[in-house]
Amino acid sequence: MQVAELLRFLLYPTFYAGMLRMMVPITLGAVGEIISERSGVVNIGLEGIMMLGALVSTYVGHFTGSMVLAMVSGLVVGLAAGFLHAGIAVNLAGDQIIDGVGLNLFAVGIGEVLLYLTWGSFATSPQLPPEVRVPSIHGFSPFVVLTLLVAAATWVVVEKTRWGLRLKAVGEDPVAAEAAGIDVFKVRTIATVVGSLLTASAGVFLSLDWLGAYTKNISAGRGFIALALVVFSRWNPLTALLGGLIFGFLFQLSQSIPSGVVPDQILWALPYLVTLLISAGFLAKARPPGAVGRPYKRV
Amino acid sequence: MAEYAIEMRGMVKIYPGGTVALKGVDFAVREGEIHGLLGENGAGKTTLMEILYGTRSPTEGEIFVRGRRVEIRSPRDAMALGIGMVHQHFTLIPVFTALENVVLGDEPVRSAGLLDVQAARARVEELMDQTGLHVPLDEPVENLSTGERQRIEILKMLYRNADILILDEPTAVLTPLETKELFAFLKRMKEEGKTIVFITHKLREVKAITDRVTVLRRGEVVGTVDTAEVSMEELARMMVGREVLFELEKKPREPEEPKLTVEDLWVRGEGGDYAVKGVSFEVRGGEIFGIAGVEGNGQTELVEAITGLRLPDRGRVLLAGEDVTGARPHHLYARGLGHIPEDRHRRGIILEFTVAENSILGLQRLPPFMNKWGVLQESVVRDWARKVVERFEIDTPGIDAPASALSGGNQQKLIVGREIMKDPKVVVAAQPTRGLDVAATEYIRRTLLRMRDEGRAVLLVSADLDEVLMLSDRVGVMYEGELMGVVRPEEVTLEEIGMMMGGVRLEDIKGGGAKAEAESTGG
Repeated sequence: MQVAELLRFLLYPTFYAGMLRMMVPITLGAVGEIISERSGVVNIGLEGIMMLGALVSTYVGHFTGSMVLAMVSGLVVGLAAGFLHAGIAVNLAGDQIIDGVGLNLFAVGIGEVLLYLTWGSFATSPQLPPEVRVPSIHGFSPFVVLTLLVAAATWVVVEKTRWGLRLKAVGEDPVAAEAAGIDVFKVRTIATVVGSLLTASAGVFLSLDWLGAYTKNISAGRGFIALALVVFSRWNPLTALLGGLIFGFLFQLSQSIPSGVVPDQILWALPYLVTLLISAGFLAKARPPGAVGRPYKRV
Repeated sequence: MAEYAIEMRGMVKIYPGGTVALKGVDFAVREGEIHGLLGENGAGKTTLMEILYGTRSPTEGEIFVRGRRVEIRSPRDAMALGIGMVHQHFTLIPVFTALENVVLGDEPVRSAGLLDVQAARARVEELMDQTGLHVPLDEPVENLSTGERQRIEILKMLYRNADILILDEPTAVLTPLETKELFAFLKRMKEEGKTIVFITHKLREVKAITDRVTVLRRGEVVGTVDTAEVSMEELARMMVGREVLFELEKKPREPEEPKLTVEDLWVRGEGGDYAVKGVSFEVRGGEIFGIAGVEGNGQTELVEAITGLRLPDRGRVLLAGEDVTGARPHHLYARGLGHIPEDRHRRGIILEFTVAENSILGLQRLPPFMNKWGVLQESVVRDWARKVVERFEIDTPGIDAPASALSGGNQQKLIVGREIMKDPKVVVAAQPTRGLDVAATEYIRRTLLRMRDEGRAVLLVSADLDEVLMLSDRVGVMYEGELMGVVRPEEVTLEEIGMMMGGVRLEDIKGGGAKAEAESTGG
């Protein structure tokens, strides 16, 4: 009886609207990373790219008052981060992990500095004016629709098109792909940039839709959860969507259960603990793309 | 039409690191001929053809295709000129199906880039019917045999309408029967007007199939001749620059008691299926027991099970009478096993370590190399390393040079030297001369014979049939994890060995021989 009372929130549509919202950033990040990793390029800078997308869109939104400019600028940052990572990891055959770590550290640092210099706060920017925020439609975010479409479209592209075949070829065995006449560098660069773009759009969602501001640690580890989701999904965008829904449910659950029932700390930790278990459980069995993380060099 | 389909002039290739692979090579192939490119390992054959195919860039030189000067910067450029290549190490995507691999890079599509699988299948099936090369199209390539993979590579070239075909050592992975089929196919292609470059180091194949042959030695052209006008001996001389010793001196020797016994051994391979299925044999002191067979028939797993690198499921391994089934490598080494592993970079030496460090790999925990406090005794190690280098004539800048600074032949000498200095009772040598030049090969072979003469038991596993027959006192032929028979080299013909490599049992050959032969060639 008491349990039923506690779980009443499960009956209200707001819970599910919230769950779908929670699904958006990790799914966008995971689908982006799947595209990148299928081409053989690991980008562990997801967290940083999300932060940068959120930061820049907040900044531009705050000073121009234009939602369109804010969104576009956030995506441009994603493009730039993608080209940077592709330049280092693909064209210069640099270490993909170190590069990604650098991006994460840079994003944390620049965010704090700009917050303080601009608004005198270490914690948060002022709330964005309503005209800059992405409006909800019947309580549902348009980003939810976007995410569903992106996941489905990515699946079609990867599994059913010429581009997908070449993407997978490059990620499985770049030498063989090159011998088949495919431009390995071009495919990897495009995949990395598209992946980064999707991740940055997750950041735009966080600031312009969800919070309406930039706060310190706005992504709260979602970039890393997205990385775990990539493994969980076995590099399949539709499975990543499913995983995103599960995480969305857990996030929303941890916020919906009234405090005092279960220690708050345990509730908040729930999605992250599940991530840990899933990563540990699935990592062993998953078969990643054959050449993932390995730079390709011509002799 | 120009006389030459391909002409390469003054090709120079210097690798980063300074190795000069080609020193100004001129190479020309006539329209519609089968042109052999003959040379030893490291002669520059593959490098030259990879430049033509665009997977390597030349340092200098000009390329003409049908009389027109061209720049080939990638395989795309080569394909556009009608050039196709089957690499020695296949360039197929393991998880893709055969169909996907054939069409990759030139996929038929409907609107919006959607793959047109039906059209792809129809085109490839038509091609298979035209050429007689059949493969299961929906099977992932990783599940297919090497012969099938090669057919996929050839289909891939023809699918792109290549009319200049380059094949790099195509017979290295084939059974004698498959080789025969390949040659028949190549002759058919030639009749259809295709131009073919055939890379090989096997003289017999040059004589069997080519019209003309260009011989390369150490990055230079020795000559281009009409195949019909030269003998095998002349070709051999051109290839190695001196008379080759086709025979090594092998003294007769009475074998002693068995030192290595393998009883009904069953071993699983990577995929979980049995790669070795009930193999039994024994190797006596003073005997070389050879294992022949096309690669991938369980030899690797057999060696791994004997040397403690892989656990057998069933059966026993006895080392000098002691049951050592499933024992760890260091345990086996302590009991008198020496191992010259198949993949020397992965398991024989550590490239980044110095010659001295590599010379005690496997001994590092034993006195006198390590004292009781667990500290390596550097002066002892260095004395030992100097001894190994001197005794085995290893050409090295010094014992402190990294092993990566040594040539392949000298790396192998270092491994062989180290294993022999352990004074083993049993030596397991897997592909001991693979990739080595003639001089190093001869040295290693002599050393194996010397070990036999000293009364050690030698198990020699090699894909080089000539080598196995030349060195072994007895030979077992492996096919799909089983021994097809054990024979003495002097009592068997090449054809009989070839049939066993293709899966015919010795008793079927010796018994109704004609029948078995008819079955094996009929398909």
